[in-house]
Amino acid sequence: MTLAASFLGGAKSRLLPASIPFRFFGAAAIFQLLMWLALLTSSYDATNFRGGLGPVLATVHFLTLGVLTSTAIGASAQLLPVATRRPLAAHWPIKLVFWLFIPGLIALCAGMYTAIPIIVTSAAVVTAVGLVIFAGILADNLRRATSLPVVAAYGWGALLSLLLLAGIGLTLAGDYQIGILPDHGAVALTHVILGGFGFMGLLVLGFSHILVPMFSLAATPATRPAFIGFALAGAAVALGSVGAVASSSLTLTFAASIGLAAAGLHLWLMHRALATGMRKRLGLSFALIRTAWVMLPTTLLVGLAALYGYAGSNGPTLFGFLLIGGWLLTFLLGTLQRILPFLASMHAARTPGKSPPPISELAASGPIKIHAMCHVMALIAVALAIVADTPALLRVGAAIGLVGASAFIWFAAGVMRWLVQQA
Amino acid sequence: MKRAQPHDSYPIWRTPEAVHIDVRGLQPPEPMVAILRMLDFGEAGSVVIAHLDREPIFLYPELDDRGWSYEIMPPGVGAGNVNEVILRLVRRDA
Repeated sequence: MTLAASFLGGAKSRLLPASIPFRFFGAAAIFQLLMWLALLTSSYDATNFRGGLGPVLATVHFLTLGVLTSTAIGASAQLLPVATRRPLAAHWPIKLVFWLFIPGLIALCAGMYTAIPIIVTSAAVVTAVGLVIFAGILADNLRRATSLPVVAAYGWGALLSLLLLAGIGLTLAGDYQIGILPDHGAVALTHVILGGFGFMGLLVLGFSHILVPMFSLAATPATRPAFIGFALAGAAVALGSVGAVASSSLTLTFAASIGLAAAGLHLWLMHRALATGMRKRLGLSFALIRTAWVMLPTTLLVGLAALYGYAGSNGPTLFGFLLIGGWLLTFLLGTLQRILPFLASMHAARTPGKSPPPISELAASGPIKIHAMCHVMALIAVALAIVADTPALLRVGAAIGLVGASAFIWFAAGVMRWLVQQA
Repeated sequence: MKRAQPHDSYPIWRTPEAVHIDVRGLQPPEPMVAILRMLDFGEAGSVVIAHLDREPIFLYPELDDRGWSYEIMPPGVGAGNVNEVILRLVRRDA
């Protein structure tokens, strides 16, 4: 590959050093373990959780910030510069994001777990600064993403949600210390909607328009229905946020209904991609992704039912769990199962003179099988525990999740060890 | 030079040394999908020249899996312009 060297140099400028995305993915894998561990220790309060400082709130943030946001930062920092053909202007901002966001998040969760407001407030500031810098990096990439109009539209929506989410998160943290909000619960629900459906949800929906066709080797979804899907999803998030802060059931109902239409259209587009894709055997990662797709409309339906008191006494808790654990976590874990070996192989291919082994050899099937099986079993157990208000069953679910998270770390560590050996 | 397989979205043509595919202007991941579709189902032969407007980084693991080696052609080779990436693919068992 003599001529390849010139090419590799060009490509490398767009491909971040492997240590950057993989530090976020590694952190996500560890936070998944911490999340199940924290849930295990907070089972008595978790089945009917409605908010407030304590171990359950720490568990929620280990999941939302630790697993979901870390994965989103690593994936978008790696994938967008490649897709937009423009490298990041510099690597230090994204490294700075890591060194602000991760320690801030650990301190935030520690403050929440121990219910010490001053730690929560201080850590929230550090975490939010990290997220705002990431928002700047994301904005810089998105403004150049003219060849990816649908993904860029979803990205802008996610970015706006992130900024609002961070601002509201800081306000909620401050409220624990000085009590400034008249209705903490309503603002917290806005925070949930902006985080789950806005920032993470729109990012997941947008990236799906590239990742799902890429993994299934299918054509990109048609632009017009994709944009209609974006408009519906964006309207649902906006209405949902307004409805939550105004405590308006009618507005929230409209939002959920529009969200259901957006979800239906998105799932139809994804189904078309899989149906027309060249690769039919998509492996365990897509078993998780398909499970997540089922969870998306289910979450919205449970949310609607909870709004009118038809989802049992723990309906709001079930809604929150299905949103962040059922849909988002399941989707991202499925994506990580697929993308970690893929990215590792890409990085190895950058080493001149070395031909990397096939991706299939990188993805150790044992840990992946254990992880996928445990994740789905844990989801079912925790959901049933919430419905039946049974902390013992929730502990069983958390213990199973813990085994699965350990298997995932085993898998991720194997991929990273392989990558180091190739260097 | 003659047309081998005209396509709605991207041209494919044959020269004595290779089959060419021009996927410039397509949205990601369609360039990758078009090239792999050609390798998997088309008459790719043993040498393919792909004309792209970006480095198809996500394509490489797929090529490795399928037993194709790849190298970038230096600027000026073929009919490329400054922004064009020309990738030469060779079937390893050829």
